[in-house]
Amino acid sequence: MNTHSADGTLSPRDPLIVALLGNPNTGKSTLFSALAGIATRVGNYPGVTVEEKIGQFTHHNQVIKLIDLPGTYSLFPKSPDETVAVNVLRGQMPGVPLPDCVIVVADATNLERNLYLASQVLEIGLPTVIALTLCDLADEKGIVIDTALLAQRLGCPVVRVIAPTHEGIAALCDNVIAAPATLHPSPITLDRDFAAANTGHSLPAREAMARYAWIERQLSGVITKTPPASRSFDERIDAVLTHRGWGTLIFIATMLLVFTSIFWLATPLMDLISSGMDGLATGVESLLPPGAIRSLIVNGVLAGIGGVVVFLPQIAMLFFFVAILEGCGYLSRAAFLMDRLLYGVGLSGKSFIPLLSSFACAIPGIMAARTIENRRDRLLTILVAPLMSCSARLPVYLLLCGAFVPNVAVGVPWLRLPALVLAAMYAVGVVVAALVALVLTQTVFRGPPQPFVMELPGWRWPRASVVWERVREASWSFLQNAGTLIVAVSIVVWALASYPYSQQLIEAEVDADRQKLVWRLSQYPPTDPDRVEIVDQLASLETADGLEAARRGAAQRQSFLGRAGRFIEPVVKPLGWDWRIGCAAIASFPAREVVLGTLGVIYNLGEIDPGEEDGSTALVRRLRAATWDGTNRKVYTLPVALSIMIFFALCAQCASTLVVIAQETNSWVWPVVAFTYMTLLAWLGAFATYQIGSAFDL
Amino acid sequence: MLSLQEVAVGASARVRDVAGSDPTSLRLLEMGLTPGVKVRVVGTAPLGDPLELELRGYRLSIRRNEASRVAVTQ
Repeated sequence: MNTHSADGTLSPRDPLIVALLGNPNTGKSTLFSALAGIATRVGNYPGVTVEEKIGQFTHHNQVIKLIDLPGTYSLFPKSPDETVAVNVLRGQMPGVPLPDCVIVVADATNLERNLYLASQVLEIGLPTVIALTLCDLADEKGIVIDTALLAQRLGCPVVRVIAPTHEGIAALCDNVIAAPATLHPSPITLDRDFAAANTGHSLPAREAMARYAWIERQLSGVITKTPPASRSFDERIDAVLTHRGWGTLIFIATMLLVFTSIFWLATPLMDLISSGMDGLATGVESLLPPGAIRSLIVNGVLAGIGGVVVFLPQIAMLFFFVAILEGCGYLSRAAFLMDRLLYGVGLSGKSFIPLLSSFACAIPGIMAARTIENRRDRLLTILVAPLMSCSARLPVYLLLCGAFVPNVAVGVPWLRLPALVLAAMYAVGVVVAALVALVLTQTVFRGPPQPFVMELPGWRWPRASVVWERVREASWSFLQNAGTLIVAVSIVVWALASYPYSQQLIEAEVDADRQKLVWRLSQYPPTDPDRVEIVDQLASLETADGLEAARRGAAQRQSFLGRAGRFIEPVVKPLGWDWRIGCAAIASFPAREVVLGTLGVIYNLGEIDPGEEDGSTALVRRLRAATWDGTNRKVYTLPVALSIMIFFALCAQCASTLVVIAQETNSWVWPVVAFTYMTLLAWLGAFATYQIGSAFDL
Repeated sequence: MLSLQEVAVGASARVRDVAGSDPTSLRLLEMGLTPGVKVRVVGTAPLGDPLELELRGYRLSIRRNEASRVAVTQ
């Protein structure tokens, strides 16, 4: 609280502490941006996962610190959001001084319900100013509000504001600055209504009745609404969009549009970034002498940065769509349509878009969970989002399905088994996610049912400034927070894969490999087709490229990473894997796509990109011919291929995702939980698949 | 005793009482579903749940099990 001088005025040097609160969907964020621009401090309030957003601006030489409190419908502390708001308004929030003034944002098209919160704020007794937003929308609807009369009744200023055009902003600031010194809001009288409403209802009901009765009294004569000649625009749109048939169709079409855009439109941009980073890497490679430094920069740092920046198009695109859908009001209709299905597994309709986006990439999906106000639902959504098979898993599925699933027709000639198995992998993710959500709801997240009482806001044009702000903020926070950690992890993995490095030992291993190949050749009868592959491998060892690839493979096998692979071999043997697959699984921790490239290196194909046509067929040939060390028994059978796919379907091999989970939940507990449960499920799933598959002799 | 979830689509009713004093009931009251207010059931989602209501000049959606707490008269 600022100290006032003897005559009651504030020294203009001291910043004025102003709290901003209001219902959701009232244009509060637009107002915040119009007043204070971008928030200067964004973090969490101590001890809770409620975002603390503070901005600063100057008006007529007065510095104003604006505290943006979370949107709430009431101050009654039922949730962390409401508790934080009450604590800040009472000056009981550590680190936040008692506000000098409160701005209550009220939606002009919805004044009756909005005044519920205003009535509670006025009771607290702080100097209050009411900002009437969405006035342009109200004008369109023929709603006329007598602000002077309302101000008189409420005992505080009521200022009309159209934030995007800055109309009324100056007047609002004038009133805010003047408020602490000049205004003393009259305490509102609810007592009379309490007694009158004492007709056998519960206490909460009586209080709500009393408040709304008070609101109705204040509003009588204040609002004049010209009754619409025909059904209003809102009604007509809603009749279609929430209609059983049309609504569902439009919904599916919209979701397909969003999903495919993230998938297909973002891909060219991602490729552009990828090739840009590759170009940069090649440039650096040509400039520096070969050695540890060059490898660190190219394979560690640049690869890490590239791995982060490549997500940006998807994140930007998703937030663009979410901001538009939220801004126009469609998001709540989408949640309304999907709620029944999701409620069945313990989630709610609002989880739909985050989960859908996770099919493209879990990172923007998890960030999109910010639209879920309910803390428990949001956390649950974040925890199961990585189970939605993301696009990084697709190359693994495609390669293994194509190479090891028999290409037979199922029922009809155009329906092939590999395609069905591919679809099954996606289905596995969804089914397991549903089960995990159900289990978590019954155990760890057990509690009273969370209400799905959700407002369906009126239709409005999304504001370009708000959309831009959403995209900018999401992209920047991802780059900043997640980016630094992901790069660090990539460097660590690079180090583990590159050291220890001994030229002598590598040559020795390449020689030993050559001996092994010669021995294997002698085991095959001259007419066996697998002989061809072994002859090819021996031949490639005579070429410069082949020798280089063999050396690289040996180097990786001797590195910490390779040793780790051998170390965990007992753990992956029950899954039907040999140590090479285990090694690739460990190496894919930063990003799943790496698994195929790692297998390529381990099988001495050098640094092939498994996406290239030549690369994948070479890898497939090597995999098909691969045998357990010292035997002729094939490693890659159908049960093994299936177990690898199931493992990757359910595992959390994505450091980027885990970092984003930490960022969004403001704690490292949840990424650890996610990694642990998913790895366990992945292991169990792969184990069951392999054992059952082998038993049935697939 | 008629509850809100039994009101037909398109029909209106007046709230008599909201049962319970847990956060869900409290939320229903705060959003304006107070005794005496007029509510219209605008529609339902494709699977019959949740309900879309119109009251106090705005639209609200609640689940059937939440609506069952609201006693109404027609």
